[in-house]
Amino acid sequence: MTTVIDGRELQPPEPMERTLEALDGLADGEDLLLLLYCQPHPLFNILRNNGYVWTEELLPDGTREIRIRKAPG
Amino acid sequence: MHPSLSFDQAPPISVPYRFFLAAPWFGVMAGILLAWSGPDAFASRWTPEALALTHLIALGFMLQAMSGALFQFIPVAVGGNVWRPKLVANVVQPLLLLATLLLVAGLLFSQPTLLSAAVPLFLLAVGGFVIVVALALWQTPATGMTLWAMRMAIGGLAVTVLLGSLLAESLAHGLSVPIIELTNIHMAWGLGGWGLMLLAGVSYHVVPMFQLTRPFPLWFTRGFGPLLLLLLLAWSGQYFLDDLRWPLVAGFPLLLILAAYGGMTLWLQYTRRRKIHDATSMYFRVAMLSLLAFAVSGAAFFLDPVIGADPRSVVWLGVLAFAGVFVSAITGMMYKITPFLNWLHLQRLGAPMSAVPNMKKMIPADAMTGQLRLHVLAVLLLLIAVWEPGVVRLAGVSFAASCAWLGWNLVGAIRRYQGFRDQIRASVLHH
Repeated sequence: MTTVIDGRELQPPEPMERTLEALDGLADGEDLLLLLYCQPHPLFNILRNNGYVWTEELLPDGTREIRIRKAPG
Repeated sequence: MHPSLSFDQAPPISVPYRFFLAAPWFGVMAGILLAWSGPDAFASRWTPEALALTHLIALGFMLQAMSGALFQFIPVAVGGNVWRPKLVANVVQPLLLLATLLLVAGLLFSQPTLLSAAVPLFLLAVGGFVIVVALALWQTPATGMTLWAMRMAIGGLAVTVLLGSLLAESLAHGLSVPIIELTNIHMAWGLGGWGLMLLAGVSYHVVPMFQLTRPFPLWFTRGFGPLLLLLLLAWSGQYFLDDLRWPLVAGFPLLLILAAYGGMTLWLQYTRRRKIHDATSMYFRVAMLSLLAFAVSGAAFFLDPVIGADPRSVVWLGVLAFAGVFVSAITGMMYKITPFLNWLHLQRLGAPMSAVPNMKKMIPADAMTGQLRLHVLAVLLLLIAVWEPGVVRLAGVSFAASCAWLGWNLVGAIRRYQGFRDQIRASVLHH
């Protein structure tokens, strides 16, 4: 199952708040998809330090699709 | 939020804040100096008062605020690590403060010894800062045009300070250098290569994020920085080419791309789907309109040699650039960065998210918009004062008052941070 957070029209820190809340409920094997117009480095640091992995894709309209899940094992 | 999540290694909040707290008071000093100097201060850009005012804003307001913001922006926006930020800030800031005061006093009272004393302090402070920031910017794995613009901007700062040091030493020791050409080049690198390059790079990131616009188009961000750099190099060619037409040839395209950046930012604001009219958006609008006014006036001064020859025309451009573009954009940024940093650092205390107050509670919206109105009034009075010397004192007092209000708003935000921090710590201990 994929939870989607569209942060493109939200003012910071709302996208980060929603993402951190959603991470609390993220089960193994589930995805969290975050849509933003920028690279959220503070969030990346939190993910890195807390056992999450993510992939990032830049769409032609400038949207960044950030797909987050728990690191395997 | 999950209390066990550990936050990134952003610098301590005191690092950016010590620079932010200092900046507005240099604006206050500039306003008081203008009010004290009276009608003659704006007679030309070469009056001791005009030179002192320029550097109070460029070094006291702009460089302080921009250095503080870089310490924070590098980890948050481009994922870079600044080496020992607290130590660097502890060394760089006092040196910069002292050097700025010495230089301004040296220019104002025409004291060669003060000018000479300021130069090594600037070279040491800015040199150290440039090296540390450049290392962070070249070691980060991040990519993108914000990063490249920041890399070019830090090079622009180095060029500006080297040329400024040469100019200060020439004034102090009467060295025979082409002062006018060197000053034009120093000014172009300071305002364009450092100031505007950094503003543009940062705005690629923060305008969509905080003002909820679409992103800057890729073709624009790829073209703007390199083109600006190229045109600044061409502008600098006036030092080597003894051709009076050269500043015109390089100057027009330079004005055109300044206008393109201003126009693009305004267009993005105008076409956003969710309209927000907070102080930051309004401040950016004032800055971009001032940038367009700068480009149009600059072109008019080139085309009409009679107005262009009036020494007040350059003062007019200076007011638009310093008070209209940079003080506005920087104030708008500080009104967003400060609440955001308060929030980010309060999160790191490990309290549940519900215990951390909303960003909007950090600086009251009325205080920001009130200060914005006073700033706009001050900029308008400064512009009128260029042609109507009778208004100079009133313009100076308004600008000083507006900067003092900004300083007071920032002090308030930091006191609120301390209050919330103590509450959260007490509640964490209690549980």
